[in-house]
Amino acid sequence: MASTPSSSSPSQMNRVNFRTQVLARHLQQPGLSPSSLQSSLCLNYSPPELAERFDFDTGEMRKLLDGHNLEDRDWLFGLMIQNKLFCPRERGGRVFVTPDYNQSKEQQREMTMRRIGYLLERRVFQGWLTGKGPESEWRKLAYLEVVGIYDHSLAIKLGVHFFLWGGAIQFFGTKQHHEKWLRDTENYVIKGCFAMTELGHGSNVRGIETVATYDSKTGEFVINTPSESAQKYWIGGAANHATHTIIFSQLNVNGSNQGVHAFIAQIRDANGNVCPNVRIADCGHKIGLNGVDNGRIWFDNIRIPRENLLNSVADVSPDGQYLSAIKDPDQRFAAFLAPLTSGRVTIAVSAIYQSKISLAISIRYSLTRRAFSLKPNTPEVLLLDYPSHQRRLLPLVAKTCAMSFAANYLKTLYVKRTPESNKTIHIVSSAFKATLTWHNMRTLQECREACGGQGLKTENRVGHLKGEYDVQSTFEGDNNVLMQQVSKALLAEYIAAKKRNRPFKGLGLEHMNNSSPVIPSHLSSSTLRSIQFQTDIFCLRERDLLNRFAADVSECQAQGESKEYAFTLSYQLAEDLGKAFSDRAIFQTFVEAEANLSSGSLKNVLSLLRTMYALITLEEDAAFLRYGYLSPDNAAAVRKEVAKLCSELRPHALAIVSSFGIPDAFLSPIAYDWIEANSWSSVGH
Amino acid sequence: MDRSSSSNVESNQVLVEENCHARIVLLNRPKQLNALSFQMISRLLELFLAYEKDPNVKLIILKGNGRAFSAGGDVSAVVRGLVQGNWEFGATYFWKEYILNFLMATYSKPQVSVLNGIVMGGGAGVSVHGRFRIATENSIFAMPETALGLFPDVGASYFLARLPGFFGEYIGLTGARLDGAEMLACGLATHFVSSGRLPFMEEALCKANSSDLATISAIIDKLSEQPNLKENSPYRQLDIINECFSRRTIEEIISALESAAAKQKNDWISSAIKSLKTGSPTSLKISLRSIREGRLQGVGQCLVREYRMVCKVMLGQVSKDFFEGCRAILWDKDRNPKWEPSKLELLKDAMVDHYFTKVDREGWEDLKLPTRSNLPVHAIAKL
Repeated sequence: MASTPSSSSPSQMNRVNFRTQVLARHLQQPGLSPSSLQSSLCLNYSPPELAERFDFDTGEMRKLLDGHNLEDRDWLFGLMIQNKLFCPRERGGRVFVTPDYNQSKEQQREMTMRRIGYLLERRVFQGWLTGKGPESEWRKLAYLEVVGIYDHSLAIKLGVHFFLWGGAIQFFGTKQHHEKWLRDTENYVIKGCFAMTELGHGSNVRGIETVATYDSKTGEFVINTPSESAQKYWIGGAANHATHTIIFSQLNVNGSNQGVHAFIAQIRDANGNVCPNVRIADCGHKIGLNGVDNGRIWFDNIRIPRENLLNSVADVSPDGQYLSAIKDPDQRFAAFLAPLTSGRVTIAVSAIYQSKISLAISIRYSLTRRAFSLKPNTPEVLLLDYPSHQRRLLPLVAKTCAMSFAANYLKTLYVKRTPESNKTIHIVSSAFKATLTWHNMRTLQECREACGGQGLKTENRVGHLKGEYDVQSTFEGDNNVLMQQVSKALLAEYIAAKKRNRPFKGLGLEHMNNSSPVIPSHLSSSTLRSIQFQTDIFCLRERDLLNRFAADVSECQAQGESKEYAFTLSYQLAEDLGKAFSDRAIFQTFVEAEANLSSGSLKNVLSLLRTMYALITLEEDAAFLRYGYLSPDNAAAVRKEVAKLCSELRPHALAIVSSFGIPDAFLSPIAYDWIEANSWSSVGH
Repeated sequence: MDRSSSSNVESNQVLVEENCHARIVLLNRPKQLNALSFQMISRLLELFLAYEKDPNVKLIILKGNGRAFSAGGDVSAVVRGLVQGNWEFGATYFWKEYILNFLMATYSKPQVSVLNGIVMGGGAGVSVHGRFRIATENSIFAMPETALGLFPDVGASYFLARLPGFFGEYIGLTGARLDGAEMLACGLATHFVSSGRLPFMEEALCKANSSDLATISAIIDKLSEQPNLKENSPYRQLDIINECFSRRTIEEIISALESAAAKQKNDWISSAIKSLKTGSPTSLKISLRSIREGRLQGVGQCLVREYRMVCKVMLGQVSKDFFEGCRAILWDKDRNPKWEPSKLELLKDAMVDHYFTKVDREGWEDLKLPTRSNLPVHAIAKL
């Protein structure tokens, strides 16, 4: 309260008296004679496993959620637990592994590199770039997820080296580049980074200012940073370790600009000295990811050989002719950005694992932590036995499960990619990256609060993860920009279908070809829980919003505005539509995962989770009421059902988070015996 | 097996001496090196359950009569039962044994196991889970299951996985023998006391009249010594063990060992290679996976998984190596088992997966762990 004594009015004085009386009553404990006060025993920690039910096979559930390479995951978890570099610490009789975030950023960066060195020695990265086929790709994705469960910096450092630097060489480069660089990259003979973003341009890559000019006399490209806003910024690996970089630059051949192209340049020698004509500075301390050495780079007319142009899309002949199979500069640019898809896929997936970590911790804590008695002289109540606490956490558990299925679907799309599926991957990965990372940040915040003060301790992970993962809504495409792209792409589908009078095909939009679904005016519990109703309402929203968005944009264009300007004006519908697409697509992946199961206890709990996912989405998104997909009565019925679902999911809470595939050692002390972990005997003295 | 004929001879397989507040429990089947018969398991379970409730009991000392602490479970009886079509006997045997292991792992009173001789398989299961394990100059420890067509069970996937680095994989897969000094070094034993001093230790422990871990530890500390790790002990080369046994698959472990052997001549490396090449391929693969899973699970989950595995082993749908191993090692003693599948590469992932799924058999249930209450902190941490 901000009131000062001098401003005390009579009513404030009354309030002070009232508070005093309340406090006095608390201290005196009416109904208890002072003699009955005893020194209470220490609260007992009782492992939730002893009291909670396990109605379904958590191993089977984990198989569904993790989806692939479980044994490989366990192997890598074990490699980390068994090595001192991963900072095993005993707390409350258990060993936890987590980096020492109390180290300086320089120390954290060195530790990240040493951990990479150890994993390299253990052959974890074997086949990450030289492997062939889907099998090695699935395994690589699983390993990256596991590493990310330990530490975001470690995962990002690997992501930059293998997926961005390595991926650029794989996708933009040709045979000569593959032969020269991939094996050395896999073995860390060289360390790569990826210089795309500039101080002045992030999501808008086409606007970057760095220029590469071809010098046909020497057969070299001359790369230059023409202004301060053209300095490369946030380049992971650049500040300390990287020896080589991909440079994104405008390409100038014979005085004409051919747009953005990618080049390879060396920035450090083998001893770590920065190369001539390159200047590097640190990005400084950050709110997270301090184990990653983000740096800034200026190029002062650095010269690189002609072969260092990554030439799968376009090439420059020795005498300075520009050659490209793709004539349309827009398409050429799109081809360049294709590898960034892998980043969006891995970001989306890793976001969900962080939600799993924080939910497993906060659910376990809420099953052992008590607060307030409902009646005098009765035990205090477990946090998770409060309906309000259930309502805070259990819908997030359901969403996290739904998004696990979505993440698995996205990975499948990516691993099985073909040139034809590029568009779908681009749209789905954009939508899921934004939706899953936003969900994660919200989940982390709720879990942090649900753990109370304990959530603020770095060792308990939940609060710290907020700083570590905030960046996910920005890198590899700002979430808002990505969602706008999704809506634009949907509109393009719409226009194509209408113009050519052809049915919708792909992206799950086939429902647009049917007649509009009808939502019953009265929603019973069993209707609300049916897949049919849930599908209908998600499709209804998407279809209507797509119609509205198309109408809005075309109306705006009819008034003489450009298409681009019309988009920016229709941002509200664009936002609603992007969400509608994403929610519906996630829901469908859940339905498919469930459909493959034979009936039993696992299927039952999944259907509870699926209904919770659907109904909480209905409850939370105002669009359903705003556009009338749900009547106010229906919305009330949904709300009531959500509360019911909370109490039905409550008994399964521990079993569900135990299926998340996060080993105990990667959770945190408050997830286990937090009384012992905080005991005097555990204090170093 | 006729269970009703529990004559005196059989009930004498476990002897108890009451000494003030201590109970000295003696495994007494010396001719069979104290291999744990069904009766012994049942009796131990009974005793431990009773002692936990009995306020007069503060400490349990478990030791073996003769030159062994215990050479393991009585698998011979189990396989005899199987051959006669009595699957249930084996299932009940392992069920009880694992429940006993779980009880010991989560026991509220200190158990001191005196490992003055052979400790193998099931013998490790009734000692390593307890709070204090005393090694001596006579100790010989091994988990020899992969040579028998079985896998390190009795909660070994829990305790082996928690040894330093990948030492657990090494001894669990190769069945390598450890002496008392090595047991202490790797943490399988908590103390080393020379056998001559054991009577003093027992006496002091009985006199102590205490359940307090620090008090008991102090008593044993006083009598214990720091033995020298022998010059050629594999434990001195933990870096090589970590390098090789951290590999993802058995095949990769073998090839890593072979390249280590090429670099330096080493007896333990060549015998490790030999063990991995002569052990049951099925056993090796399921054992490795079991230890790797065990590293991430509580002791209860480990035992539930091991119970699934051992039932699958007994059913023999993928491999009958358990029968073959018993034939070659315990009965015919030709030491020349014919494993089937005969090679590592013949075992497909799905065949290995089979051992980790529920048993599809009428009336079969997952191991049901007893509800435990008032657990001590160190027991809570194992769940």
